[in-house]
Amino acid sequence: MAEMWISMGPQHPMTHGLWTLKVKVDGETVIDTEPDLGYIHRAVEKIAELRDFTKFTTYCDRLCYASANTWSHAYIYAVENLLEVEVPERAEYIRLVAVEIQRIASHLMWLGAYCPDVGNLTAFVWCLREREMMLDLLQELGGSRLHYNFPRVGGVKRDLPIGFAQRCRTKINLFLNRIQEYEAMLDESTVFLVRTQGVGYAKPEEMVNHGVTGPNVRAGGINYDVRWAHPYSVYDEVDWEPSVEKPSIKGADCYDRYRVRVEEMQQSARMVLDALDKMPGGADTHHQHGDEAILAKAPLRAPEGTSGFHHFEDSRGESMFYIVGGGEQRGKFPYRNSIRSPMFITIPYASKCMIGYKVADIPAIMGSFDPCIGETDR
Amino acid sequence: MGMRIDMEAAEVAANLVVGHGRTRWGGTGLTIEVQHHAGGRFKRPYIRIDCPPQHWLAVAKWLRFEQGVDHCSMITGIHWPEGSDERRWEVVIHLMRMNVIDPPERGDWVEQVVRDASILQEEDVPLEFEVSICLPDTRTPSVPSVQQVWVGADWNEKETWDLVGIDFDGHVGMRRVLLPHDSPVGYHPLQKQHKLRYHDFEEMYDDAQGFQRKPVDAGKIK
Repeated sequence: MAEMWISMGPQHPMTHGLWTLKVKVDGETVIDTEPDLGYIHRAVEKIAELRDFTKFTTYCDRLCYASANTWSHAYIYAVENLLEVEVPERAEYIRLVAVEIQRIASHLMWLGAYCPDVGNLTAFVWCLREREMMLDLLQELGGSRLHYNFPRVGGVKRDLPIGFAQRCRTKINLFLNRIQEYEAMLDESTVFLVRTQGVGYAKPEEMVNHGVTGPNVRAGGINYDVRWAHPYSVYDEVDWEPSVEKPSIKGADCYDRYRVRVEEMQQSARMVLDALDKMPGGADTHHQHGDEAILAKAPLRAPEGTSGFHHFEDSRGESMFYIVGGGEQRGKFPYRNSIRSPMFITIPYASKCMIGYKVADIPAIMGSFDPCIGETDR
Repeated sequence: MGMRIDMEAAEVAANLVVGHGRTRWGGTGLTIEVQHHAGGRFKRPYIRIDCPPQHWLAVAKWLRFEQGVDHCSMITGIHWPEGSDERRWEVVIHLMRMNVIDPPERGDWVEQVVRDASILQEEDVPLEFEVSICLPDTRTPSVPSVQQVWVGADWNEKETWDLVGIDFDGHVGMRRVLLPHDSPVGYHPLQKQHKLRYHDFEEMYDDAQGFQRKPVDAGKIK
């Protein structure tokens, strides 16, 4: 049978956002692919050149709706490197709680979107039920449901609300119980196992050479994590360990990438519980807005010739901002703000990863890398 | 309990790489030094390299194959129309030494690689690199491509050309990735002559950018 190109997208339920995957098929076998991105390019890097440092956090939230908090934190850490700001320890703990709850919510959103792709619709409803609990917690912190604008240069917007610690512990413990139900359901679901096991093999060295990072690499059997390799925040003081999966000899398949995220959610939950216990000043005290325990003073301007960057462990891999100071308004705006999106690099790799498999495996392989088009196109 | 790399070991590892670099690249115009992040709790060291464009491919291979820098994190470009004579364009590359290896095989199964961060020393310590390449004033800025050294550089270079307009010599398959495929030739929005400000809208919709269109309120005073 003659080879032919099929265009999957831009609007297709499997693609999770607007992008096109051009697939060259021979019969039912994929023999070449070519991703085509940029459908929702919003020129965020250009917009940043006309916003001062505090105003740009809202745009960072909107880079990825499923993981808004991690993106705004990644940006804020880079700005703090640029402006030479020291953050109070309590604020670091609050940030850790916010980021890790967001990581759970993001992975739940992924699991909820992935399971229907491979034929298990129940998990979608279950995951979104638990994700709603996490969003409620984040709403208490940030004030809105998806885009929180929570971190500030030098600290956080608000302290933990009264009673937050207790509600958080209850919900996280409930979540830890319920995630066992997911594992029981998915690990014994023949449909799920048949669709995910043995497809989409990827090896760590190759992945890193292609620029893939985060849970996808840890699924390959190595515990590399930006949170310990390039330490920031208080990850060295709370109780956790990097999730790592035991892959097969051919590399990590889609099932390993599912397992590593489930494990990572449990580690994040463990971290949140421990951070609430260890928080300086106690998790039940509440400081007013702008109190020096949660917000340090920070300069408004970055002089010419300065730059700052920060590698951050996002839910999908290593995200990074590189900011050059000395823009307009005598340094109030950045001269250049450059964003590294983990998914922008991962999607081309994932597209190559599916060569040799069947067309029906495309959603299973693509979805297992957790694509998010908002951050990809920026 | 959480873990992290030892900051003194990171300092030693960074100085080791800088020592190797100065021996290897002395007299070529390349500068290499250890710098520190200014904010945060740890003031992590990173290695800053200022590289002349003609040596970039050789330096990349040296980093990749002799210093174990296995991850190309980001490549980006900056347009400095009012910069100094030798720096009108700048390419900034962020690299990482992650030391990721394939898990060792034990017969028909593999053994996980679980590292204890607190005991890593010298070559095993993860490091960050920042490479800056400055170009003089030119209408066709270009640096060598490192697509063959790190495959991850491929799409970063595509994006840098697409948005900033800096070309990469030897890059195979250069094309628009974020902008539409039919964008006008020579239109790269992150160059500084393209303004975003609202009251400069005449310039924003300038025909030189090839869009051939005007806002409905053109000419009215805001």
